[in-house]
Amino acid sequence: MERRFQRDLSSLPELTLFVADFLSHCGLSPSNAYDLDLILEELFTNVLKYSSGTGDVAVGLTRDDSLITIAVREFDATKAYDITRAPEPDLTRPIAERPVGGLGIHMVRQLAETIRYEYKDRVSTTTITKKVSSNA
Amino acid sequence: MLEIKVENEGRVAFKGRLDAASAPKAREALRPLKGPMALDMSDLEYISSAGIGVVVETYKRLHGEGAGLRVLNLSPGVRAVFRFAGLEQMLAIE
Repeated sequence: MERRFQRDLSSLPELTLFVADFLSHCGLSPSNAYDLDLILEELFTNVLKYSSGTGDVAVGLTRDDSLITIAVREFDATKAYDITRAPEPDLTRPIAERPVGGLGIHMVRQLAETIRYEYKDRVSTTTITKKVSSNA
Repeated sequence: MLEIKVENEGRVAFKGRLDAASAPKAREALRPLKGPMALDMSDLEYISSAGIGVVVETYKRLHGEGAGLRVLNLSPGVRAVFRFAGLEQMLAIE
């Protein structure tokens, strides 16, 4: 399944519905929604904050048995934004000394099996795989 | 959708989803409140890094004022996000 979303925070509820539709379509448990919602929100908001693309953002969800592939694509990107190169936050620092933010990609890394990035012909694509529970 | 209810004795109850879209609303609700504070997350279904940012920001402000912050009643999913953020051992979670 693939859908396009307006490049705006107001798209987050639609992303949540998209995940729920996908899980239902695949006969997968709704209990898988939290992790997929979190990965998608973090990827989508990173696009809003840092990317150079314009127009809608395409989100694809596919299933191969218990492995879900999430692809976030944006178009007319004038430069690459490769999340695999994002620095890790220092989680050993006391909270009072930490910056606010910088945790989103770290959370995606915690949840993902694999993370791949490609920048080609001004199309920027981040592809994540995530194992899910196959019980309906 | 996020609902925030400011209760007595510094207790603030959250209901719904604390994500990037609702984080500004949470930040605005918490900013004028003095500590000590307890964030009751019994009815919070979902939190993302943006919501964690609101908690960290509030902790830092209260810490600077010499007051504490407690986080109460996390669901397993919400607790996992606190763990990913490295906060599970550092915050007072009950």
